[in-house]
Amino acid sequence: MSDGATAGFLATVPLLAGRNESDIADLARVLRRRDVPAGETLWHQGEEARELLLIVRGAVSASLHAPGGRVVEIGRAGAGEMVGELALLDGGGHTMSVHATEPATVLALGKADFVALLARQDPTTFSLKRRLASLFTARHREQLRHLAASIGGDVVDLPGEDAARTFAELEYCGPPDSKYLRRMATFHDFDPAALWGFLTSGRYARCPPGRTLLAEGVPSTACCLTINGAVEKVLIRPDGRIRVGLAGPGKAFGYETLIDGLASPVTAITRERSLLLVLPREPFDQLFRREDAISRVFLDVIQRDLVATLRQSLRPHARLAASV
Amino acid sequence: MCRILAYLGEPLPAQALLFDTDNGLVRQSYSPRMMNTFLNLAGFGMKAWDPTSLRPDDPFSYRATTLPSFDRNLRFLSSKLAPTCLIAHVRGVTYSDEAVVADTNLHPFQFVGARVALTHNGHLRQFPRMRYALVDHVRPELAQRIEGTTDSEWIYALVMSQLDDPCGIPETRELADATAQALRILRSVRAANGIDTSSPVNLCLSTGRALVATRFSFDYGWYPPEDEMLETDLPFVSLWYAIGGAYAERDGDWQMTAADPPRSVIIASEPLTTDHSSWLEVPEYSMLTAELTPSGLEFETRDLDV
Repeated sequence: MSDGATAGFLATVPLLAGRNESDIADLARVLRRRDVPAGETLWHQGEEARELLLIVRGAVSASLHAPGGRVVEIGRAGAGEMVGELALLDGGGHTMSVHATEPATVLALGKADFVALLARQDPTTFSLKRRLASLFTARHREQLRHLAASIGGDVVDLPGEDAARTFAELEYCGPPDSKYLRRMATFHDFDPAALWGFLTSGRYARCPPGRTLLAEGVPSTACCLTINGAVEKVLIRPDGRIRVGLAGPGKAFGYETLIDGLASPVTAITRERSLLLVLPREPFDQLFRREDAISRVFLDVIQRDLVATLRQSLRPHARLAASV
Repeated sequence: MCRILAYLGEPLPAQALLFDTDNGLVRQSYSPRMMNTFLNLAGFGMKAWDPTSLRPDDPFSYRATTLPSFDRNLRFLSSKLAPTCLIAHVRGVTYSDEAVVADTNLHPFQFVGARVALTHNGHLRQFPRMRYALVDHVRPELAQRIEGTTDSEWIYALVMSQLDDPCGIPETRELADATAQALRILRSVRAANGIDTSSPVNLCLSTGRALVATRFSFDYGWYPPEDEMLETDLPFVSLWYAIGGAYAERDGDWQMTAADPPRSVIIASEPLTTDHSSWLEVPEYSMLTAELTPSGLEFETRDLDV
């Protein structure tokens, strides 16, 4: 595959849409092409990540290895799609094992080049981060659909809960101590002025334990970032509930609807009394669409949260698989 | 903060749990992978039950304030001991002149004559403000046996006070209920004393025949201003388990073998191997119970709403 052919393929990859020819040509030069026979394992779950793969042709399967030697297929990816980027973004091991289900051709992008691609501050990098957020949101929904199918049953409606009214009725208050915020791991790496710009983009609200803030199947009207306390993200079915995540300090929830316009994939209920930064749709959209230092902080916070959420939502998959 | 370990199942050399794996408990004393800015250098303790030993209901006990990685006695002993049940602990304390590193503060706690032992990973913030309010909830004969200065020993006394017979071997259900009741009492005493900051209470209790473990925190996510433990406590304190047939080394990798029904379980603050694929994370706010029965290991996870 020549650099020209690689560039031609890259121009069709949705994730890279909007990049100019020069960018695409630069990217084509650092990608390494590899042909993979059917059945070959590209990496094992838990292995250190060195590269992500763009699939040119063929298909791969991502599987979760659970205790007892059990293996559950969580998803598949085909031409134009990407695998392996999560572990590059958070530095953890690969979340799942990946193998080719048919002969495939892939383009490998090394960790350093991927990090460099995301570190730039031009409009195409903001666009890439937004597309990554959309991609991860879609993947999160797919994981939850898979999990919901495993447990069976229909969504249990929570009577009397109205998301818009819920947020209107919260007890709003002033911002928390900035010293505390600066010590939170979520915010360590950011420029203090830009961070403060983000943290003052919404309103702070106190919430008692046991309050339903989002209902699965209902569009969310705000994104929330937990400052203190904890919020459970659960799937509620007639036979019980499965917790798919816990949004403790520095973790967000409720943004999926605001990214892709679909209904909330989970129900969110405060487990502890909580202090939340509430970003309704309008400020969320501004932060998501703008291309300045404050928006950069916001996109990075959302990206980190999505990566952590994707990892966290594999836990119930593993527990279910192990109990088969 | 500390690290805890519990095992119940087929006889297994203690060395496999403490030393042999690439993230064994002893390594977690000086290089914990899941705990920020904190080491566990204030001592080691373990209780190990061997049904073939003299007085099998009494565990083998070992506690030392020396660093376990340099403790040759521990290494030699653990290579000769193959218990069916073990709980162990490496202790971490805050870096302050108020911390007391002493034998009497080492876990597991087990009062003389009692059949239940306890280890604790976590800490009750502002404990001095509530310590003496707990006296009302602890049997006097047990309160008199508290020797050390830790919150953990008080939690132990509180759990033991909820048992019908603190010197008997409780059924697993009774021990689990006593643990949950002790947490309810702690919650009410904290509230009565105006204490509302994050206090992790990951516990592991054992009778030698059963294990009860919690992954729990009071007021998770709330911290006092300028708190020195903030970075350590921001993530929910971890707890993992591996369940299956036997914990064994195969081709250089330690793993729990597959078995249905299971025969062995390990519960630990961190997986004992850097490869987590044979481990499961215990859900936050939950309790695990495990019991050896003639038909295998009975194991249950439930939400802990106290």
